Formats: sequence, C-alpha cells, structure tokens
Amino acid sequence: MAIRELKVCLLGDTGVGKSSIVCRFVQDHFDHNISPTIGASFMTKTVPCGNELHKFLIWDTAGQERFHSLAPMYYRGSAAAVIVYDITKQDSFVTLKKWVKELKEHGPDNIVMAIAGNKCDLADIREVTFKEAKEYADSIGAIAVETSAKNSINIEEVFQGISRKIPPLDPYENGEIGAMKLGRPSLQSTNRCC
Amino acid sequence: MYRLGGVEVSSLLYTRGDTGSNPGKSISPKCWKSAGTSRQKSSGMTMEMSLLDDRGSFFKLIDTIASEIGELKEEMVQTEFRVRDEVDSPEWISIQRDMETNLLTERYDKKVPLRDSGYESVSYKPSILDRLFHTHPVWLQLGLSDDKVLDVLQDQPPATFLVRKSTRLQRKVISLRVPSDTESCVQEFTIKEHSYTFSLEGSGISFADIFRLIAFYCISRDVLPFTLKLPQAIAKAKTEAELDEIAQQGIDFWKSSTNRKTKYPPPPPRPVPHDYVNEESHQLPLINGVHSIRTRTPSELECCQTNGALCFINPLFLKVHSQDSGGSLKRESTKTQGTNGKEMARSPPPRPPPPSINSHRSSFQLSRFVKQEASMPETVIHSRHGSLDSPTKNTVPIPPPRLKKQATISRCQFKDKNSSFTNGSSCGSSVESQPEESPPKKIMQSINLNQNCDIRTRVALINQRLSDVSISTSSSDSYEFDHMPPPGYEGDSLEFCEEESDQEGMSPPVKSRNKRASSLGFSRIMKSHLRKVSGVFNSLITPEKKMIKKLTAMSRDKRTYFGCLVQDYISFVQENRECHVSSTDMLLTIRQFMTQVKNYLSQSSELDPPIESLIPEDQIDSVLEKAMLKCILKPLKTHIDMMLKEFRMKSGSWKELKENLLLVRERTPQELGVLTPTPDAVDVEKIKVKLLTMQKMYSPEKKVMLLLRVCKLIYVCMENNSGRMYGADDFLPVLTYVIAQCDMLEIDTEIEYMMELLDPILLHGEGGYYLTSAYGALSLIKNFREEQATRLLLSETRDTLKQWHKRRTTNRTIPSIDDFQNYLRVALQEVDTGCTGKTMIVKPYTTTEDVCQMCAQRFKVQDPSNYGLFLFIDDTWQQLSEDTYPQKIKAELHSRPQLQVFHFVYKRINSDFQGIISYDDDSE
Repeated sequence: MAIRELKVCLLGDTGVGKSSIVCRFVQDHFDHNISPTIGASFMTKTVPCGNELHKFLIWDTAGQERFHSLAPMYYRGSAAAVIVYDITKQDSFVTLKKWVKELKEHGPDNIVMAIAGNKCDLADIREVTFKEAKEYADSIGAIAVETSAKNSINIEEVFQGISRKIPPLDPYENGEIGAMKLGRPSLQSTNRCC
Repeated sequence: MYRLGGVEVSSLLYTRGDTGSNPGKSISPKCWKSAGTSRQKSSGMTMEMSLLDDRGSFFKLIDTIASEIGELKEEMVQTEFRVRDEVDSPEWISIQRDMETNLLTERYDKKVPLRDSGYESVSYKPSILDRLFHTHPVWLQLGLSDDKVLDVLQDQPPATFLVRKSTRLQRKVISLRVPSDTESCVQEFTIKEHSYTFSLEGSGISFADIFRLIAFYCISRDVLPFTLKLPQAIAKAKTEAELDEIAQQGIDFWKSSTNRKTKYPPPPPRPVPHDYVNEESHQLPLINGVHSIRTRTPSELECCQTNGALCFINPLFLKVHSQDSGGSLKRESTKTQGTNGKEMARSPPPRPPPPSINSHRSSFQLSRFVKQEASMPETVIHSRHGSLDSPTKNTVPIPPPRLKKQATISRCQFKDKNSSFTNGSSCGSSVESQPEESPPKKIMQSINLNQNCDIRTRVALINQRLSDVSISTSSSDSYEFDHMPPPGYEGDSLEFCEEESDQEGMSPPVKSRNKRASSLGFSRIMKSHLRKVSGVFNSLITPEKKMIKKLTAMSRDKRTYFGCLVQDYISFVQENRECHVSSTDMLLTIRQFMTQVKNYLSQSSELDPPIESLIPEDQIDSVLEKAMLKCILKPLKTHIDMMLKEFRMKSGSWKELKENLLLVRERTPQELGVLTPTPDAVDVEKIKVKLLTMQKMYSPEKKVMLLLRVCKLIYVCMENNSGRMYGADDFLPVLTYVIAQCDMLEIDTEIEYMMELLDPILLHGEGGYYLTSAYGALSLIKNFREEQATRLLLSETRDTLKQWHKRRTTNRTIPSIDDFQNYLRVALQEVDTGCTGKTMIVKPYTTTEDVCQMCAQRFKVQDPSNYGLFLFIDDTWQQLSEDTYPQKIKAELHSRPQLQVFHFVYKRINSDFQGIISYDDDSE
C-alpha cells in the first residue's frame, strides 16, 4: 500500500485544545509503527484510507495573536487544516472565522478544512451551538465535528473526514510525495535510441 | 567427496566446533546432523534479520557475525599452517589436484595451468556478475514497453530474460521467456524494492542490487519456474572486451547475428538429466519431486556468493545438493581479478602467516612471504593495463550527458555510451595503478615493524584477516572494484587499502596452496564459505555508501561531464563573490544547482549502470541528495559561511539583531508569554554547545538533526517530569526565550542555511516543522521593537515568508540543463606569470569575440587587441575565430566518444612562448 504524506495544519485560538486533540488522536490506540516525535507540536499518525495509507503530518501553530503572522509558514503546502474553537467561548469561534478567511485568501488551493468544536463535554456552558457551526461549515464546504479531547469523542472522526475528502491519487502518480518520481521519462527515450 | 556438496553456507557459521578442530576430517554423519540443526538456527536468524527494521541494530548484528567469522578464520589459518609446514611434497600437490578435479567435477573449458606465481593474467574469465554488469545495456531495459518485450523475447529460447520497468505495475519486473506452448510466451515476475534491498515477489531472498539478484537467479530458480539464462553469446564470452562489444549493441543485440548464431548451441558435453533449464520444461516443480529444487554444491554457491550475490539465503532453497552441470553459466563464473579462473572459485586467499608461527620463522621465510605479497599487486596492475590495451576498453569514452532534451546527441553516441563502463572505472583505471601499489607495502611494513612484538603482530594480522573477511566479496567483484574510487579520492582510503590488500590475496602463491592440500581441502572450502557469508553482509551494508563514494569521486574528476559541472560551478561561486545580491540569492542558486545536478544524474547515462539497478527507487533521491551535499556543499561550506556573515555585516542586520537579542533577554519569561518551566543556565549551556556543533556541519540535514535535539531538550525542560505534553502555544514562546538566552548571532545564519539548502522533501517533516518554528522565533526577536509598538510583525516579514514559500515550492520544477551548463573556464597565459584560470558565465550563443572581451575585463588586460582565445587540445593550439561559439565547441568536445583533454586559453596572439604550460592550477 502506498503511503501518502499529508500535511495537516492546526489553527485556532490559544487554549481551545488544539494540541490536546492531536495528542488524543495520535496516542490513543497507540501503534508502535508510528515513529515518535520529539514533542507534541509536531506529530504524525498513519491511518488506512481505501487502498492508501494516509500519513498525517500534523503541524500545530501557536494561537496567540502575536504569532499570527507566522501562520503562513505553517499552513503553506498543507493538504488540510483543522480549525479548532472552544464551544464554550464565542470569541474562539470568531477567531475561527478569521482563520477560514485567511486560508481562503492565502492558503493552498483545494485545502480541506475541518472545523472542530472542542470541549463538547462542557455542553452545559456552551456558547456556540452546533447548528451555528454546522451551517457555517456547510457554507464554506468544511467538515464540522464537535469533539472532546478530554473524553476522546469524535477525535478520529475529524481525521477520517479529512481522509475521505482528500482526492485519491492517480494510479500513475502513486507513491510517496515527490520522492518516487525521478528521471523515469528520459530512460525510456534513451533505451529507444539504442 | 561429492557429499561435501551438502554443506550449505549458512550452516557453516555454526559448525565451528566440528570444523575448527578437525579441519582435515572428511564429513561424518555427525557433521551432517549439526549442519542440519544449524540450518534451522540460521533460518531463524534470517527471519529475524529481515524483520529488523532498525538499521542500526541490524548492522550491529552483522558486525558481531563478521567478527565471529574473523575469529573462526583465524583459528583455521593456524591449524592449516601447522600442517602446511609439515607437508610440502609433490605427492601432495598431485593429491590435491585430484581432489580439486573431483570436487569441481567437469570443467569443459580448457584446463587452466596451475597457478605458480600469480603472474598469469591471461586466463582471466568474467563471473556471472561481471557478465551481467558489462552487458546490462542488453538485458536491463527499464524503459521497454510491453509490446517491445514480446517482440524481443519471442524469438529467444526459453529462460531468456529482460529486466524492465512495467508501466502497468509501476514496478521493475523480470520478463521471462517461457516455453511457447503456454498461453503467453512471456511471463513477468515483479521485483520488490524494499527499503534497502531488491527481491522477487514471493521470495524470501533479498539482494543489494539488481545485478546480484539476476546473478542469483541465473543459478537458482527459487520462485521462478526455471533459472534465468543469459544469451549464449554473453555466457560464452571469454573476455571483458567481448562482453563490451556485445553491450555496445544494446537492445539491438537480441536481433543481431551475434545472438542468432550462438542461439542454439550444442548441448554441453555432459548432459545432466536433472538440469531443469536444459529440459526447457514448463511443468511446475513437484514439491517432493526429483527436480523440484535445483541444487548446488558449495563450489557453485560460491560462484554467486563470493561475488556477493546473496544477501539472505532462504534455507528452504538451499537444502539438497548434487553436482550438476548447470550449463555454461556456472562453469564460467570465476573471479575477475584473479589470474587463474579455476583456482579462484575454489581456493581461499593465501593467509598471512599466523602470528605465532610468524615470529618463529626464519627471516628468510618471512621475507619470502613478504616478497610474494608485494609482488601480487604488480600482477594486478599488469592485468589492468592489459585490459586497458584491449580495443573496447580503450575506447571507453566519457559519456556526454544523455538528457532527453538534448536532441543533438546522435544515435550512435548512445551506443557508445552504452558500451562504456562507468566513468568511475575509466577515471579510476589510470589513477588506480599507483595507489594500488601502496597498500601491500603498508602491510609489509606493519609485518616488518611488528614482527618482534607478538601481540601487535597478532593484532595487525587479525585486522588484515578481518579485512579479508569483510571485503572478500567486493574485491573479487571486478565491477565493484573497478568502480570504487581510487583511494586518493576519499578520506576513508583505509577501507580501500584493505580491499586492495585483499586483492592480492585472491591469487595465492603455489607454495601455500600446496600446503593447504594437507587439510584435505575441507577447511579451505569452509573458509571460502565463510568469506561468502561475510561477503553477503558486506554487500548489504554498502550500496548506498558505494554510490555516494562513486559520485563524490566522479564529481572531482573533470573528465566526467558531471565532474566538470560541479568543479566549474564550485570555482565559479568561489571566484565570483559579487555575483550574488544577497545571501538568500546565493543559497538559492546553490540549492537550485544541487537540485539540477541531481536531476541530471538521475537522467544521465554517466551513471552506468543506471542508478535504478543499484539503489531501490524510493532511496534514489536521498542517496543523490547525500551525494550532492558531499560533492557540492562540502567544498563550498567555508565560502558560504564567510559570505553569509559578510552580507549580514554589510547590511547591518547583525548589529540590529544583537541589540534586539539584548532587549529580549531583559524580559522575563512571563513577559514573553512563557507559562511553563524554562531551561536553566546549565541547559542553556548544553544547547549552546549543540548549536556550536551545528555550525561545523555542512549537511543541512545533520544541522536539522541537531536542531531537533535542541528542541527535544527544551521539551524535556518544559515538561519537567510533569508528563504534560505541550503544543505550539507553549513551545514557541519558550523557543524564543531560549534563542535569546543563547545570544548567538550565528543562529541567524545557521537557520538561513538550513532553510534554503535543506532538501525540499524534508521540509514537510519534523525537521521542517522545527526549522520553521526556529525561523519564526528568530523573526519575532528581529522584530521585537516593532512588535512592542504594533503587536504585529511588519508586513515586510510576512512578505519575505511568502516569497520564501514560493521559492521553495517552485524550486521543484524540472530545471533545464542550460541553467548550469553555462560556465566556461578560461586560463590566461602570460609569459612572465604563467597561468591563471577564471570561470565565467558564457551562454551557448556567446561568441568568441564576446568571450575575449570578458576575458580582457576579468584578467585586466591592457591591450586586448593583441590577445585571442585559443583552444589547446592534443598538444596543439588553435585560435578560435571571432564568430565561433566556445560553449558549442566545449559541448562538441565533451560529446566525443574519446576523451580529450582540452583547455580554453586566453593569450597573446603573437607570443612565441608556446611551451608546455602547466594546467595544474587550472582546476584549483
């Protein structure tokens, strides 16, 4: 099975639980095939999808306002972005909308977006309804999921949703990104000449 | 004696007790039994190995085994020598001769005279591996289409094969001609390319490269319906020259008269019913049937194994044994470098005198031994020269670049190139003769110097023997040997010396051989097997390193096109400081150049055989990348560092950074947004040490590894045993804090170096992530003051980032060769000052007139009208007329099949001084 590396960028206000989601995703059902990373800011996990393996390279970003301008470096070349908000904080949903706008303007074309409303275990102090989030997500063609990193709810679903939305590769382009396609065409020509 | 054939390679590793103590004993049932059990053992080992993903521990295992083999060999040498001294009579010689004949059974090639001095280099015969290697343009047809394969193979006898890349499967396959009464006359067997090895699908045996794989399947069918068969013309060829001639035909060989007239040869003198190949049978092997598994004696196994054909031996396929005739293939698989084909395959190299005996020997004996040792390399040199004189060898050209885009290269030139051995060999051959002499001398010295000191001698000899062990396969392989760079090229010439020292071991002097007869040939077989096993490991370890070495050597050899490109570029960068407007610009062009050269190499015919046949596809890029770093970045490192600093000094950005670092250092961690524990002074010191180490490295990948270690350390400090995991929200502020604490301006240049030069493929991974973070943290520091005011980075920084992104992503488009072809090295010759060289950018359509003007400027010539551009070639001077194009002339010269040394010289037109000029300063 071909392994496909997919860069996924995590965006969202500080404190909404971006890294908790990733930690949960990567560390639950711990698989010894994953090479451990040095820290939680960058993590990887490989999941099967159809006849491909998707290796998620998850880039966490710092949510503080003053790091905002660094974000382009992190989301460049991403196949997908998970934008996280806190369902108990309306502000974080506002920030989310800003991120979506920025991605639309400056992000990679065809980037798959997933909106994750974290902390759904705290539904009683909810400030953002799922309906609101879902409608917004639909309007931008994004996946909408409410998650709880704490209780491990819907974590896998976010990434499965992304996997499904990633277009499968052309069989001829099959292979690890970049590394596989080197110099083949010329050989054909040279052999024909001999 | 036939039963000897039953002892299989892998088991020999474990039968130490039996063999070490009873070297002369013929095999007893007990031995059989032990061989059996150890077979199981070894099969377990094989499995374990293939399961080991971790390279490191795997090689450790190999090391252990290799050293064990070394010990074992040492033991055997000692026993052997004891007997050797006792018996040295003609009777023994004849007995041994008989034995050998028995063991070897039929050998229908004309009897090779017994080797007596090792001076006969005439009767050399290529091994299967050599044959495959020389003729790969015939059978290795990676780009061949399905239809074409059918077209080629349908006229061939069954068992004929081609290796190609199936467009349908996107994999390499062996296209095998099967008997035509079946549905299709061509069957395909997929070649799996696992992380470091090649293997056939369904088989448990892996090989370091395609050549070894094919060589193995030429003598063992394993998962194939029958063994592969080389075309008769190739299998029968007696010299490398013949093979090269065949190779020149490339794919046309199949339809050529050479192939046709030898297509259906008379059957071998002694037909053997078991021979599956000759039967041309297509029925599937019976599981317990007679001919289900074609078996081999150790001597046959050796054919492939001393040549390193095997990596892993699936014991299932190496069980039974019977001497079979096997057709011509096996018979002819003898060592390349040896003088006596027959002896080569069977006898182990002569051993250095064992330490204990050595010290007791008379000085005469010692000197005699030493003399023999010393004389051997001469033989090798002689034979090498001999082969150089042969017509095909002589015409070995330096292949011009073979790029798809360059339509100018004619058809016949392609053929030429195909016929050639690699540049590695051609460049090596002339240079090699000299270094070849030295290693034995070294050993001589070590023997002489240490003969009074038992322990040291012992150590020295053990070392030598170990080198024997680890090197035997590769040195007996003519191709590897030929393709190794001459020792002078590499820092690790020691390794090469060892190989060289083993080289002479391949043709033992007659004396020692006779003595060995007393051991009833058993320990000899044992040892040869041990060498095989060790060779197996050796061949597994090195393909990547070998390739990098080869490329590095090529890059320094200006006679190769690749070498020219690299050397011209390096000197251009070093001489033209003013050609880059900024440090980024400089790094960018260097990175581009590396990517382009990588691209060139993966398409070029200069790498012969094609890199795909030696390195699994998913590894090629990383191997090439490593080679590029070594060839291009390493020599430029000092220059780059200096330039990076200079640019920063000039722009004043370092001064600014210094101030800002101070400013940030005055803040408390909390003010910087840090909410976690921070590294203390001791940790900061540790980090500083790592950063200093980083500055010494040239490889951006290794620098990134160190950066990761720094980050890991920061994480450890942050977590402070709390077990909490921290994401970027917490990490980035701490990283910023740490960078400020380290107070090293060089971090700035280091990060830029990595950012611009790191292989684009790695930018998405962990290294890329932390590099991005470090860059981000540094940007924050650089803009600290502005941040105070606006709480935001300047839009300027943002733009820079965007541009950087664009750069690093568009970088990957396929470059054109023109981009880096445009260098021309011109020498200025003056009567009084001699020669000075300069590299200039000269476009293909720049005329000589323009080049003259450029030269006048660059060399600061006062009276340009008296100067002209000359081509110095074949010891003659030709003045180039004003309307010619020097780049085109250069290209034309490069594409000539025969290599010529030429120089462009800018000099006085009417100068009488046309004497010999030294071009030594030209390249440096």
